[in-house]
Amino acid sequence: MITWDGVSVTYATTRVLGPLSLRVDDGEWVGLIGPNGAGKSTMLKTAIGAVDHEGTVSLSNGKRRPGLDIAWMPQRPQMPDDMTVFDYVVLGRTPHIGYLGSESRGDLDSVETALRKLGMLEFAGRGLVTLSGGEAQRAVLARALAQEAPVLLLDEPTASLDIGHALDVLEVLDELRAAEGLTVVTAVHDLTLAGRFADRLVLLGDGIVRGDGPPEVVLTEDLLRTHYGRGVRVIQDQDGPTVVPTRTND
Amino acid sequence: MKRTALCGLFVVVVAACSGPDSAATTTSTLGGAGFPTTVEADNGSVTIDQRPVAIISLSSTATEMLFAIGAGPQVMAVDDQSNYPTEAPVTDLSGFTPNLEAILSYEPDLVVITFDPGELIAGLETAGVPVLSYTAAFTIDDVYRQMEALGAATGNSEIAQQANETIEADLAEIVENSAGVGDDVTYYHEIDALLYTVTSSTFFGEIYGLFGMDNVADPADEDGSFFGYPQLSEEYVVASDPNIIYLANVLYGESAETVATRPGWDVMTSVKNGDIVELDSDVASRWGPRIVEFAQSIADGLEEYQRG
Amino acid sequence: MSLPTTPPLARPSRPSWLAIGVGVGAVILVGAAGLLLGAAGIDSIQVVRALLDALPLIEVDNTLTEIQLNVLYEIRAPRVVLGGMVGAILAVAGASYQGVFRNPLADPYLLGVAAGAGLGATMAFAVSGDSSVLAPFAFLGGMAAVAVTYTLGRSVGGRTTTSLILAGVAVAAFATAIQTFLLQRNSETLRQVYSWILGQLVTVGWGDVVGLMPYALVASAVMLASRRMLDVLSIGDEEAGALGINVVRLRWVVVIAATLATAAAVSVSGLIGFVGIIVPHTIRILFGASYRVIIPLSLLFGAAFLMAADIAARTLVAPAELPIGVVTAFFGAPFFIMVLRSMRRSG
Repeated sequence: MITWDGVSVTYATTRVLGPLSLRVDDGEWVGLIGPNGAGKSTMLKTAIGAVDHEGTVSLSNGKRRPGLDIAWMPQRPQMPDDMTVFDYVVLGRTPHIGYLGSESRGDLDSVETALRKLGMLEFAGRGLVTLSGGEAQRAVLARALAQEAPVLLLDEPTASLDIGHALDVLEVLDELRAAEGLTVVTAVHDLTLAGRFADRLVLLGDGIVRGDGPPEVVLTEDLLRTHYGRGVRVIQDQDGPTVVPTRTND
Repeated sequence: MKRTALCGLFVVVVAACSGPDSAATTTSTLGGAGFPTTVEADNGSVTIDQRPVAIISLSSTATEMLFAIGAGPQVMAVDDQSNYPTEAPVTDLSGFTPNLEAILSYEPDLVVITFDPGELIAGLETAGVPVLSYTAAFTIDDVYRQMEALGAATGNSEIAQQANETIEADLAEIVENSAGVGDDVTYYHEIDALLYTVTSSTFFGEIYGLFGMDNVADPADEDGSFFGYPQLSEEYVVASDPNIIYLANVLYGESAETVATRPGWDVMTSVKNGDIVELDSDVASRWGPRIVEFAQSIADGLEEYQRG
Repeated sequence: MSLPTTPPLARPSRPSWLAIGVGVGAVILVGAAGLLLGAAGIDSIQVVRALLDALPLIEVDNTLTEIQLNVLYEIRAPRVVLGGMVGAILAVAGASYQGVFRNPLADPYLLGVAAGAGLGATMAFAVSGDSSVLAPFAFLGGMAAVAVTYTLGRSVGGRTTTSLILAGVAVAAFATAIQTFLLQRNSETLRQVYSWILGQLVTVGWGDVVGLMPYALVASAVMLASRRMLDVLSIGDEEAGALGINVVRLRWVVVIAATLATAAAVSVSGLIGFVGIIVPHTIRILFGASYRVIIPLSLLFGAAFLMAADIAARTLVAPAELPIGVVTAFFGAPFFIMVLRSMRRSG
């Protein structure tokens, strides 16, 4: 469980986030949606202490050890050109290995498992610079999974993935969530995809929660028009709500 | 009547005695070269209109030369490094970073330098002050030449000539007194603790050469690419085991004791026998009349070496 | 239960046995050459015999005189060892700085160690003219410069790498200006300081080796231990922090270790440039970019490189000496260009 309590972030004199209070229970999957600049990335960063904030973010175990209790995947990760995929994913085991230690058999197995789950095993020896956008993004995800943390905060995890890979990846996350009770918060642009996988959507607008509930409640034409500034069509069927862009209906 | 005539005669005689051609001649008019005169310096031919009486020297060697040729009373100011002779009027003018305005504020009628960082000579010439530049001597003959030129420039040619003859005679006497002891004796002359040295092709090398001594540094600069001032490899200095070590860097803290404590130097015969000569740092770096003292130091070292 | 099979590339990067072998081999070969060659005119074969004779249980005749043996053991040997130590330190410190600041141009000199040490040396010469206080002054000068750089960089520009390096450049410029001023006023020290600035291993003995040893060992141990962490730093401060690394503390630890060792080396051997940039980069191109590879190999190849440069410095114009800083620049730069071009061609 991860809870944001009265969290706000101010850059210079502008408040970009908050006050914001949100609670995500163990095993829940929350999809964070909202227009650009709404504060989604900032909200995720407050959880790992990467940005100064007021208020507190806490976990159920009372601790908040970066890397061990929370795994964070940034929107624009820095990937050193000449590092191999394997070395990069191994970085995910850093929180488990002390300063002076080195990787154990178990660490290497975790890395291998993460790579396999994301279909990246055959890329293990390749340099990061040789990967396509989608492959690189899956490598970053593998690194996050290798951390084996109970809470996963993923900022745009499928932005560079084609529809097939995006579905694969999200299904892997769903399986992991079911198998190990992970708590997942993902910030996603694709509203339909978000609706398919998340139990609950939280809509941020100008740094404040504007909507919070199951997808069919949050993904409504009115709410979306108000906060995204354009009209969209929402089609409901047995899969759930589908958000369709339209050039009429403003 | 007789007394008045005697007084009058007395007055006439006195008046006659105090005329312009009286016995109180200054030596400057002896030797012939009056003023204006033209002398050669490193900055070309320089004409000096009148006998200078307000000389500024910015070279410690030139200061020594000026006082040796009898121009001491004509010297008005010398630079901060001119510590010899002690009666030289030291100021805080600098020979290495000369300030044109400071120099001109003394209203000199002749300036002698050894180093021009840029516009000094040009500046002095523009101000109408004659300037003579004499850089370091390459040979002993250069010393005599510079002394002579300064003699002519200051109206002391005869004294300058006598001084030169004295130097020459003294050098010859010192060499003769050492009676060939120096033949084939090897030496190492140290300029600094990083083992910079002089070869026999340099000015000081030439003086050592008067004694027939051999410089261990010569193989290090056979083609002259280091201009006579190579830095030696330590193992070479030790392995070549020079008979005598001469230290020119005592001013910077080196001494016979410090040399003896250098790792690996203690097995050298010169160190074991105490044949390490601590030279006066000034004498070992100037090319003026005190080269005689330098030669004496060499001879003293030889005598000590011979005694064993 | 069957053991899980490991695909061939599923291990974190580490230096290959070949690379380590070449490195160790280079150190041994160049070190041996250093003992056999020199300006003292000692026959190399006799040196071999003397060294063999020095081993226990082996008796070999040799014709070296007392003075020549002295040269070998008291002058040449410590110089070779010190050259190796200084080379190793400069190379590994350069690599560590590049890792900590994620900047291929970073090395201790950039943060002002060189300028600070130079200023310290100049002050030592100006104040006392005595070469024995040189080392401590240079050491203090180097550490002070880095401390000022770090404080300035953090307070003025925040925590970015760029602000730190800009502060280092400013500190170096300031220190150099003061140094030039002091040199102007104490012109007789000019030649001594410039020789020192060009780097010298000319008058070193076992005392210097012993003096440098603790710094070299401790600092190298710290940097070696941190090599994995430097790889983590390469993904940026934010992500490294999210993986649980205390980035600020890591930076402090590595910088202090690298600077301490560099200042100690510089205070013994003067300023020898190029080693801290060329050696790590060449290793990066030849053997791989992980700091697990670069850090240990920098120790080995840095030692071999500087020992080789020192051999050149004391034999090329023997019995005269070339300043070793000139040698490292002269031979190091074209070598690096050659390696760069050959790697580009082979892809």
